[in-house]
Amino acid sequence: MSIDPSLRLPAETPNTPVRGELAIANLSKSFRIGGQLRPVLEGINLTLRPGEFVSIVGASGCGKSTLLRLIVGLDDDYQGEIRLDGERVATTSLDRGIVFQDHRLFPWMTLEQNIELALRNTNVPKARRAQIVAEHIALVGLEGFEKAYPHQLSGGMAQRGAIARALVTEPKLLLLDEPLGALDALTRVNVQTELQRIWMAQRSTMLMVTHDVEEALYLGDRVIVMSPNPGRIRRIVDVDLPHPRDRRSPLLHRLKDEILAELTAAPVEPGGVSDNLVRLPAREAR
Amino acid sequence: MAGSLVSPSLGEARAFAGNLAALAPPVLLLALWEVVSLSHLFPEQVLVPPAEVFRTLFAMTQSGELQRHVGDSLHRLSVGFILGAAAGLAFGVTIALSRLAEAAFVPLFLTLWQVPVIALVPLLVMFLGIGEPFKVAIVAIASFFPVALAAFDAVRGVPRAWFEVGRVYRLSLADTVWRIVVPATVPAVVTGLRIGLTRAWVVLVASELLAADSGIGQMMEMGRQLFQIDVVLSGVIVSGLVGFAIDRGARAIEQHATRWRAA
Ligand SMILES: Nc1ncnc2c1ncn2[C@@H]1O[C@H](COP(=O)(O)OP(=O)(O)OP(=O)(O)O)[C@@H](O)[C@H]1O
Ligand SMILES: [Mg+2]
Repeated sequence: MSIDPSLRLPAETPNTPVRGELAIANLSKSFRIGGQLRPVLEGINLTLRPGEFVSIVGASGCGKSTLLRLIVGLDDDYQGEIRLDGERVATTSLDRGIVFQDHRLFPWMTLEQNIELALRNTNVPKARRAQIVAEHIALVGLEGFEKAYPHQLSGGMAQRGAIARALVTEPKLLLLDEPLGALDALTRVNVQTELQRIWMAQRSTMLMVTHDVEEALYLGDRVIVMSPNPGRIRRIVDVDLPHPRDRRSPLLHRLKDEILAELTAAPVEPGGVSDNLVRLPAREAR
Repeated sequence: MAGSLVSPSLGEARAFAGNLAALAPPVLLLALWEVVSLSHLFPEQVLVPPAEVFRTLFAMTQSGELQRHVGDSLHRLSVGFILGAAAGLAFGVTIALSRLAEAAFVPLFLTLWQVPVIALVPLLVMFLGIGEPFKVAIVAIASFFPVALAAFDAVRGVPRAWFEVGRVYRLSLADTVWRIVVPATVPAVVTGLRIGLTRAWVVLVASELLAADSGIGQMMEMGRQLFQIDVVLSGVIVSGLVGFAIDRGARAIEQHATRWRAA
């Protein structure tokens, strides 16, 4: 990787060696819609090991974006616990980054300015910022587009720009909400490969929501299958394949069929959720 | 390759044709004016021929009279506009940010907005006389409403998604305002300023017609009273051209301020 390791921000908790361990316990969330309290997430328990890549798949409306917004700290109205390296999540923090489904680059700033904005509230010395920004633009393969405005980038390029912006603060945990959802199949495959390369280089913990089961399996050490109404974890699938992966791997194809079957199956009885947790291939709960 | 060679010249040809096309209606209008005055359908004192009007315009420019009137009007316009636009901006942003201020002021604001500004002339003249304060006030009022409304809509329209990005990167309040809210609202606010400025110009000329001792409107009114229709028509031409120039200038600024937008 082109990023000088000495550029890493000093860890805020130097006596805890763990970087990017996300622990979610008994998380529930309801929205009030027309005076009615509607549960959106219920009984979510999940632990991400530092440096792990976990994908989430699930029907539209099952609360995936809501879950990411809670983890990133944009919404602190929830029951249960969300902890990153032991610290309870209450608001946003530069330890937790997010890539939204719409790239959300500011249209009045060039790519460079957009990425540099993420560094404004960090303790990275001003003199180093331009260099770090340039390195991250190179990391996502956008050299030559530093001065381009978002409308001058293609959808895939803008999305990679958004990934660079999220990575530039070197968050311990990076959340990705359908980051490639708007891309065509070919660009998508390319950015997936790039994302895998970046993750292998960066090794921060990543949690990615996607509608694409193949993508979830290709990138994820584990794939979380959610069921809707209210959103729960229906199943956690281990993907026991080293990275970088081969898309043609038979294991990926077998798991894909299983997850698709799971997603289209009848809803699980409430209460029976945890008993139904099947791990493929069988591996102990973490 | 061939396309890139051909398209610029095609584009230039098209722009040239466009400029030419924009000249045609004024020329036709002048020709019509000339023909009607030659036909003696109206007495020559009422419908002064174009050449006569241009002679008068030239003479008034030579004597500096025209510049003095236009200068007086533009001076009032700038002072009144700065006051009215500043107040409109402050008011619009306030009612956009505070639900309480919105609830308190918006009904009155919308009611007053329905009153034609010219209808305030008699009232303002009673309070302020026909001197400078009155004309500055009328310009300020005419600019205030479009600017306030544009600022309100612009600030309310900043997508929540952008504030969320600011929160994720822990931007300070100052950075959130200067790097997100201001740029996000600039296009709509600048449009509001342009509309306010061109409205104010129209209202100013109209109120100078009604009550003033100088200015382009007063020049026309004096011309009417002395039955110098050439002076009146000169005023019509000049106020139209000044308004056009103001609009064009403001549009150029608007385009510069929003150059990051997709073409
Ligand atoms: N701000 C909100 N107020 C009220 N209800 C909300 C709000 N945000 C989300 N919801 C509800 O929460 C549920 C889950 O929404 P969420 O956006 O998390 O779904 P999702 O799994 O991300 O869906 P998709 O795959 O379509 O993006 C939906 O039923 C939605 O109606
Ligand atoms: Mg979503």
